[in-house]
Amino acid sequence: MKKQWLSIALGIVTATGGFLDAGTIATAGEAGAKFGLGLIWVILVATIAIILLVEMIGRFTAVSKKTYAEAIREDFGFRFYLLPLSSELIAESLMLAAELGGISIALSLFTGISWHIFFPFVALFIWILAWRAPFDLIENGPALLGLVTLSFLAGIIALGGIPAPLIPTLWHPSFQQGTVAEYLYLSAAIFGSTISPYLLYFYSSGAREEHWSGASLLLNRVTAIVGMGFGSMGSISLVVLAAIVLQPLNISSNTLGELGLVMAKPFGIVGSFLFALVLFATCTGAALEVVLAISYNIAQGFGWEWGENKKPIEAARFNLVMTIFLLIAVVIGLIGIDPLQLALFASTVIALFLPISLSPFLILMNDPEYLGNKTNGRFTNIAMIGILVLAFLVAIISLPLAIITGGG
Amino acid sequence: MIDPHDEVFSIRDILDSQLLTSDGRRIGRVADISAEEHTDGSLKLTHLVVGPQALAGRVNSHLRSLFLFFLRDRFEHSIPISEVTRFGPTLHLRGKAEDYAVGQSERWIAKHILRWIPGNGR
Amino acid sequence: MWQKIGMVLVLLVLFSLSTACTFTETAFTRTANNAGSAFAAAEVTLTYAHEGKITYSYAASSVVIFQSELSGTDQTLAAQGAANIHTLQRLLALFSPAIQVIDAPCLSNMCNWRKQREILNRASQAFLQAGSS
Repeated sequence: MKKQWLSIALGIVTATGGFLDAGTIATAGEAGAKFGLGLIWVILVATIAIILLVEMIGRFTAVSKKTYAEAIREDFGFRFYLLPLSSELIAESLMLAAELGGISIALSLFTGISWHIFFPFVALFIWILAWRAPFDLIENGPALLGLVTLSFLAGIIALGGIPAPLIPTLWHPSFQQGTVAEYLYLSAAIFGSTISPYLLYFYSSGAREEHWSGASLLLNRVTAIVGMGFGSMGSISLVVLAAIVLQPLNISSNTLGELGLVMAKPFGIVGSFLFALVLFATCTGAALEVVLAISYNIAQGFGWEWGENKKPIEAARFNLVMTIFLLIAVVIGLIGIDPLQLALFASTVIALFLPISLSPFLILMNDPEYLGNKTNGRFTNIAMIGILVLAFLVAIISLPLAIITGGG
Repeated sequence: MIDPHDEVFSIRDILDSQLLTSDGRRIGRVADISAEEHTDGSLKLTHLVVGPQALAGRVNSHLRSLFLFFLRDRFEHSIPISEVTRFGPTLHLRGKAEDYAVGQSERWIAKHILRWIPGNGR
Repeated sequence: MWQKIGMVLVLLVLFSLSTACTFTETAFTRTANNAGSAFAAAEVTLTYAHEGKITYSYAASSVVIFQSELSGTDQTLAAQGAANIHTLQRLLALFSPAIQVIDAPCLSNMCNWRKQREILNRASQAFLQAGSS
């Protein structure tokens, strides 16, 4: 009984690391700095969506013993499988570079050394963890560190809470001349960064790594609701902090360093380091999840050996793919694009491909051959259709808005 | 679950299935099938085909020709249907991983690339 | 029938053009706003460093990122053009000293950081004003 509760606690902590990453930090900071509390409703809607998706994919894998990528290949065939695979390859390569950049910036904020110098070493650090660390360490290490995110809440309290004049922006955001497009662009980017398909591939594979079964459904549900809710709390806290600290100073939060000022104001040097620590922990967790998600997707789709609990030579193709993608991310990173801008761009690309990544859910979650009597209920199916409609809308508007606004 | 004695069953049930050897190793997925025609006009499944050309052919027939031009069948392998001991989303094979040419790239990568990287688990 | 469809399309284009005026910023105002925000962030970073709210190392790392963000902004603005030539000239005149501060920020007690803060403040105010016009 005690061990089961421990599993739940660790599961919750893990979900936190998956929610917050360079993309959600970037979008939360800009959202608060530019529009006050006016984009919190988007985060809430995206949170509900990701809770439902995580619960579904966890249930699917626990009962069917199949991962998401395996099911897509087996149920939809190779030609369809290429669609979400291609979209993941493009989007997650960019996101991986952004996460590595986020870790590098965190280290540079601590040390004063340029983040460009840290970048290749950070890639090596992530590679070593993915190469040899057991799944437990990958899952729980960065996530435990990510509990530091609670300091964002403490920051809001230390600043005296949400100022009264800011509260109406929750339902009535103030638009300056010519910022409607930017508001819509950030909405799309928030969806893309929150409802990240890599989280679903990773979570599904993790459920297999941990040998989840039908008895794990409660753990899965609690993990989805409380874990994603906890991550959402961190994201919303950052929006509030940016709205309180940066917006009055006309700072748009276009870089990660200036976003750290929101914690420096209430807590001084300790606050700025807490922000850097949150950035380090969340981006480390996310980098591992992204690179493993791509590797899991390819290995499972092509039927190769896979698994973090296997030695590298026991899953040779899986580990080779992981290594190659880290090298690709290093090449992207060496171009020198600011990681926050890269994260925003990657979130836009994810938003563009979201319908392709999510559409298999509707069929798989209603297939009794996989799920027995654990298929979706009516409410969940309606919610799933709602998520897909939203995903299509977001996909349609994301690219034109990115072009019109110059990428936020 | 497919009964191997069924005379007619869906090709869809076989294509893209996971291949699992008797020592628990995943070696690949079915990319295509080959069959022979009987005198009565019925088709009997004879081999499971794995390889990049077969996969390319699933996307587009011209792509298969292109892959054939460059790869010359070097990476195409067939497994006789008699090797399958159990049918389903996962096809269980009679032999061990090393008994099949399918998945030999896994062994090659382990032997020639990964062995040079520290911590490979050898 | 085709005449009616053509009329609807023309009206749609006119509508979208008219809404685009307030729907999004011009390239010039976006560049000016981003530069103004970066200078404002640099000013606050410099101030916080000297008030002991962040370390000099933290400030130095942040400034490196501001450098790459602001690099080439003057050329971009000149190419995009402002409605008022005097506005552009004023912005370019304020950009030069401000970017020198970004390239060599005062992060010790041995230099006049308050003067640098004033330069950044003037630049950020002017750029933000140009971005909101």
